[in-house]
Amino acid sequence: MKLLVVEDEALLRHHLYSRLGEQGHVVDAVANAEEALYRAAEYNHDLAVIDLGLPGMSGLDLIRQLRSQDKSFPILILTARGNWQDKVEGLAAGADDYVVKPFQFEELEARLNALLRRASGFTQASIAAGPLVLDLNRKQALLDGEALQLTAYEYRILEYLMRHQQQVVAKERLIEQLYPDDEERDPNVIEVLVGRLRRKLEGQQDFKPIETVRGQGYLFTERCR
Amino acid sequence: MSDAELSKPAARRRGESLRLRLMLGTAVLAVLFMLALLPALRGAFVIALEQSIEKRLASDATALVSAARTVDGRLTMPDKLPDEEFDTLEAKLLGFIYDRQGTLVWQSRSSLDESVSYRPRYDGRGHEFVRITDAQGREFFVYDVEIDLLRGQSAAFSVVTMQPASDYQAMYDGFMGQLYLWLGGALLVLLGLLWFGLTWGFRSLRGLSAELDQVEAGTLEGLSEEHPRELLRLTGSLNRLLESERQQRERYRHSLDDLAHSLKTPLAVLQSVAEVIDKQPQNREQSQVLQQQIERMSQQIGYQLQRASLRKSGLIRHSARLAPLLDTLCGALDKVYRDKQVQVLRDFAAEQHLPMERGALLELLGNLLENAYRLCLGQVRVSVRQQGGVLELCVEDDGPGVPADQRERILRRGERLDAQHPGQGIGTAVVKDIIESYGGELLLEDSALGGASFRVRLSE
Repeated sequence: MKLLVVEDEALLRHHLYSRLGEQGHVVDAVANAEEALYRAAEYNHDLAVIDLGLPGMSGLDLIRQLRSQDKSFPILILTARGNWQDKVEGLAAGADDYVVKPFQFEELEARLNALLRRASGFTQASIAAGPLVLDLNRKQALLDGEALQLTAYEYRILEYLMRHQQQVVAKERLIEQLYPDDEERDPNVIEVLVGRLRRKLEGQQDFKPIETVRGQGYLFTERCR
Repeated sequence: MSDAELSKPAARRRGESLRLRLMLGTAVLAVLFMLALLPALRGAFVIALEQSIEKRLASDATALVSAARTVDGRLTMPDKLPDEEFDTLEAKLLGFIYDRQGTLVWQSRSSLDESVSYRPRYDGRGHEFVRITDAQGREFFVYDVEIDLLRGQSAAFSVVTMQPASDYQAMYDGFMGQLYLWLGGALLVLLGLLWFGLTWGFRSLRGLSAELDQVEAGTLEGLSEEHPRELLRLTGSLNRLLESERQQRERYRHSLDDLAHSLKTPLAVLQSVAEVIDKQPQNREQSQVLQQQIERMSQQIGYQLQRASLRKSGLIRHSARLAPLLDTLCGALDKVYRDKQVQVLRDFAAEQHLPMERGALLELLGNLLENAYRLCLGQVRVSVRQQGGVLELCVEDDGPGVPADQRERILRRGERLDAQHPGQGIGTAVVKDIIESYGGELLLEDSALGGASFRVRLSE
């Protein structure tokens, strides 16, 4: 998933960047609201983690601004004070959940995953499509109960396609899931990755969940639960 | 602080009786003034009355003199006097004529059955007006005039006219009665006017008091400028005080925000460092210590900051409507616990107010509700009961509840039951602290819904 992290404290920002990256997310980590607005306008994020106490434009104003720009991704706020006035204001401005500083990464991760699951309409920790089951916590794909050997990039593409089932997903969107910045953006990489993924999924039976829509992208055709 | 609070009820009592006190003071002054006026009025009346009696007796004496004739040095009076009163017994106008030696030479018919022991002294001084008492104790006014009918010693007489003082006494009593009646009436009218005057005069004070009520209730930002000049200094000072308190609270809140941010963010950084250290097995023990200490510091900072931010305002009377606050919090929590689809049952009047500051109630209710949302299976109930001056706010859930042996601990400051949800310990501690600052208590019991029931008891 592509995440936007807005935190002014450099060390904490770096920590979030690296830990979330380790969890298989592509992280846009920025220090202020202006930068965040720019990134949000440029890329498609799946979730934002926003610190309320930002210098300059506040976290609250940033959330309002994002929502007014029709950005509908879930927003998790980080609040230092942890009082209800802040939480209520943040949630009313458009955030979806909050974590009080300091936090254990596991706590943040659990909240974040819950939001991502909810955003894609799956409230369970796994997504199932026919014989294919995606374990979102363990970042593992199971076909007929057997674990598939997927690389991190393959898993990310599969998860993204399954979360956006029945929708055509452009190659650019998939690239954004893999690379944080504009460099090394080669659509051919996606074609290669999707090809490998297909071979692993379509092992024996007639199970062909990923369809190519010419000139537009890919479509996950299997209905997910 | 405690001294100021202690002296408050007494000040209020004094304030209420200001008009009454002024009324009583003025009434006493008016009565004293009238009592002082009374002898003067009475004296003036007596002087006027006696003068009129003297005049009357003088004119009667003149009538006697003009009726008198001297024949050969002897005084003769006509049988029928021009003034009939001398001839009738009931008339109480007595006439006597004495010669120079003081021998009675004539007396009016009206005086025949009277025995007044008055003896004139002929001393050539003209006339005399006196008040005498006879042997029976009756009082008379006496007018005694000396005449010399033939301009010679032989025809010198004292003409004496008398009138019983009892008539005068009746007049005097009548006058005094009238006087008391008038003074009493005047006093009543005065007090009535005074009451109206004071009511009118105090109208501005009552207006000020009404405005203060609004300020205390939070519906008015400050006092208006429409007050009498004498009060403008006071209202101006109050407005400045209100404004400075507001600004101070604002500054205080901002610096607390800054403080929270500047303390908690480094802690979050430390926490992240501890987590990195934790990854190396040989450092696990140190990392655990580090994380525990960070958690402790964080709890303390959080608790102390929340406590500080809930400082009560001294000027504003605290009352907050429950329903909109609950709406706000449920709106927020429904978002966070969207998957749970929690049903919140409300059992209180639409206009239910709680005697607390809005911010404090928000924190109190937020912490209790989050607890309930987190632990419930699907139902939360918020209810308010009023009984004998005690108001009880109850937040219940249908979750697993709290075992009896752990209730004591959960209510203790800073303790937390659920280590998987950081910050919960602070929540209950803050709730307890808020309630205690309002002189209330927090009880933890079983709920009819099946889970825990947090009861906040506040005196109204």
